[in-house]
Amino acid sequence: MTKFAALLRSLTGEGVEFVLVGGAAAAAHGSVRLTRDLDIVYRRSPENLARLVRCLAPHRPYLRDAPAGLPFCLDEETLRRGLNFTLMTDLGALDLFGEIAGGGGYEQLLPYSISLDVYGVTCRCLGLRRLIEVKRAAGRPRDLEAVAELEALLEESEKNPGP
Amino acid sequence: VSREAKNQPGPKTAGRDSMDDVIAVYKRGIDRTLLRENLKLSVEERFEALGELQEFAEELRRAPRTKSP
Repeated sequence: MTKFAALLRSLTGEGVEFVLVGGAAAAAHGSVRLTRDLDIVYRRSPENLARLVRCLAPHRPYLRDAPAGLPFCLDEETLRRGLNFTLMTDLGALDLFGEIAGGGGYEQLLPYSISLDVYGVTCRCLGLRRLIEVKRAAGRPRDLEAVAELEALLEESEKNPGP
Repeated sequence: VSREAKNQPGPKTAGRDSMDDVIAVYKRGIDRTLLRENLKLSVEERFEALGELQEFAEELRRAPRTKSP
């Protein structure tokens, strides 16, 4: 099980710059669909890569579905050479995206993000409209049901705006 | 290009239209009462509900199964 609170606290505690995307972002906007991982788009600056490594090192990050015993070390060089990583950690499943289809990287997504105060920390979460656009642009069949729910959420939020 | 060919939707248009159709069908099946209840919760409460749902799904996955006689 993914410990969302612990992962978010750990990332923000280390000062990692990221935007929450995917199913957890959808949950933040009110989705009732089950998601098993935390998806983030991280800033690819050298400083931020170092922060990510410091944040994740104690939680034994490993590539999900990689054969046991496959040598893997999540260090700055690994992050620099790669882009997207699907990880399992002691705190649960964490997907690191340098870029997402239809949305780009951290710098492109940041203007469309909202500030989220949760579990005593503040993080950036992709706004609902942009989340819909990104999922639509990705055009993956499995996302279409999620898009339908997100659009329904947008309609409901507009009908009954929160405080 | 003939007028008829011009009026045919291009691949992108056709893709977008069919995507919209599928999304519209899914939308009709959404239980909006659940969404409205969820929207009353704080973000933290929504994450907690997600965690509980994860636990429940995991418990169901682990549950022993027996075939009916």
